[in-house]
Amino acid sequence: MFQNFRLAMAWVHTWFGLFLGFVLMVVFFFGSLSVFDREIDRWAIPESRFEPQPMPSFDEILKPVFEDMQPSRESVDQMRSRVDGPMPEHFDTPVRWGAYTTHRDPVLGLFAGYQVPNAHNPDELVWGTRTIDPRTGESLPDDQLKIGSRFFYPLHYSLNLHWKDLGYWIVGLAALIMLVALVTGVIMHRKLFRELFTFRPNKSNQRSILDLHNLTGVVALPFHFMFAFTGLVIFAGIYFPVTHTQLEPLHDLHEVMESQETGLPHERAGVAAPIASVDAMVAEAQRRWAARDMAGDVGFLALQHVGDANGYVSIYRAGTDRIALTGEGIHFNASTGEVLREDPPPSAVERIDEFLTGLHLQHFRHWLLRWLYVLGGLTGCACIATGFLFFVEKRKRQHAKRGQIGSRVVDALAVTTVTGMLIATLGILIANRLLPVSLPARGTWEQYCFWGIWGLAMVHAFWRTAPVARARLAPAWGEQCWAIAVLAVSAVVLNWITTGDHLLKTLSAGYWPVAGVDLFMLVSALVAVLTARRLQRRARPQPADSGELSGEAAHA
Amino acid sequence: MPENVLLLAALLLSVIGLGWFALALDVHWKQACGKQARGVASARGLRLFGGVALALSLILCLQVDHPTMAALVWIMSLAGAALIVAFALSWRPHWLALLAARPPRRQAG
Repeated sequence: MFQNFRLAMAWVHTWFGLFLGFVLMVVFFFGSLSVFDREIDRWAIPESRFEPQPMPSFDEILKPVFEDMQPSRESVDQMRSRVDGPMPEHFDTPVRWGAYTTHRDPVLGLFAGYQVPNAHNPDELVWGTRTIDPRTGESLPDDQLKIGSRFFYPLHYSLNLHWKDLGYWIVGLAALIMLVALVTGVIMHRKLFRELFTFRPNKSNQRSILDLHNLTGVVALPFHFMFAFTGLVIFAGIYFPVTHTQLEPLHDLHEVMESQETGLPHERAGVAAPIASVDAMVAEAQRRWAARDMAGDVGFLALQHVGDANGYVSIYRAGTDRIALTGEGIHFNASTGEVLREDPPPSAVERIDEFLTGLHLQHFRHWLLRWLYVLGGLTGCACIATGFLFFVEKRKRQHAKRGQIGSRVVDALAVTTVTGMLIATLGILIANRLLPVSLPARGTWEQYCFWGIWGLAMVHAFWRTAPVARARLAPAWGEQCWAIAVLAVSAVVLNWITTGDHLLKTLSAGYWPVAGVDLFMLVSALVAVLTARRLQRRARPQPADSGELSGEAAHA
Repeated sequence: MPENVLLLAALLLSVIGLGWFALALDVHWKQACGKQARGVASARGLRLFGGVALALSLILCLQVDHPTMAALVWIMSLAGAALIVAFALSWRPHWLALLAARPPRRQAG
């Protein structure tokens, strides 16, 4: 079918890269934003703009909040079809309580899972969540959308497409294709080292776009490869769901055996028992970590079989000081406070797994590395975007001659996923500042704004890429760059007007979460303006491209 | 604070190291220094210097963080440094003449 191996690889790289590139663009961009998801949350929820807090006292603050919690209406409604008889008004048997925080969280997220009487599967629970101010225990309003950690972050790994978990599968496929694209790309690239530092902006469009594609792909190659790979490792349980398909009985048996081995009860005893002081257990856990020369804060605290004689408390350390996502969990009998188990040191395989997942999920405290991750992610975006541009540049004259619309469609989709995505992102932040605070289901409206604005950007992209069909530059690119600049500045100004937190104030107070988001948007606006102006210059008639293309470019 | 200084120095060494690696390639040497002869700055020597600078950069990273974290910081700093060197070669190639201890090529850019 192909003359040689390299041509076959080029075909795979071009077509698979094109189709899944649109997904990868979303994954890379929102992945980059997710590095600072907690900080974006601060921007979106002005009430939560204060310093990060440690895990508060369970006995005084958390316990009353947990006792007051109930499952969410959505969770109860989803469960309704899998229960015999009506659902109860009040759920009395909490199975699991949990609180999770990081060194970047001012507010604390809690969750609780409840047993459902007469459920077809007695192990299936209904869930409730709540966000509190850990200094007082006061709850924050439920319908505030944490745009960073609850919208951008899930967009990164599931596209927020939850129907039959389709989003996870699409992202997984895209990650797999990313690995394929990297390998095929390296094979196609004949001068990987000799042209490592090569970017020739003054050569022909095609040449300089290909240079930039190669540069951004190669310099961050370890990053691209490791993140696509570790992303797949993290979701391996979803992509190979054997434990809940073919091997379900084995999985269930293993759970029971494991609980016998660890001494952590698998079932409730059915005998009520009070909860002893969890604060004392936390102190004991911290003492044991310190004795192991790993003094640290609590990152995750969970109670299992709440209020039962078999109940136990698990306390995990926050992993701020290393890459590996370890917990050094210590487990206590909930009613007596005695230590049931200390998690043993991980095996070699577990160590590798913890390193790979930790590398991707980044719970560590290291601002430089966070920013370098953002750089890596944005480099990936640039690599994918220049891939689209190269596809269009290479084919548009030929398509124009033959009257085909292929390159115009690809260009329109590229505009949608590159500049259109930025417009939608700024759109949700602006909606967050403009929608009335009293609006019911405000968070849902913010999400509608995001998708609606993105849809509009797509319509604009298809409309204003018509010149591509005549082998000319699409005005859509420049116009959307101007839109980005205007929206980014508006978002910063709206933050100032609606909250009073302007840049001088946040910078002088050293409140980086909000100052950082504002500054990042202003820099984006500047880059957008520079790009738009450059595009305007390019759009003017110029002598035909004379640059000779190397063989590599010709068949890419 | 000294931690930040060490990390900054590590980043700088990455840029310098990769800059030397770039100058070891004839095409980039000409971009930065024009037709001046390489003299003692042979391609091999520059690669050696580059290697030493990158190794020092890694050592500085290891001074600050746990080895697993230091390795990631170092690898990512190389990505950033490579971009800086590449863009410098595109727009301000004469800056790299500094690394070769040569007067920059005349009428650069």
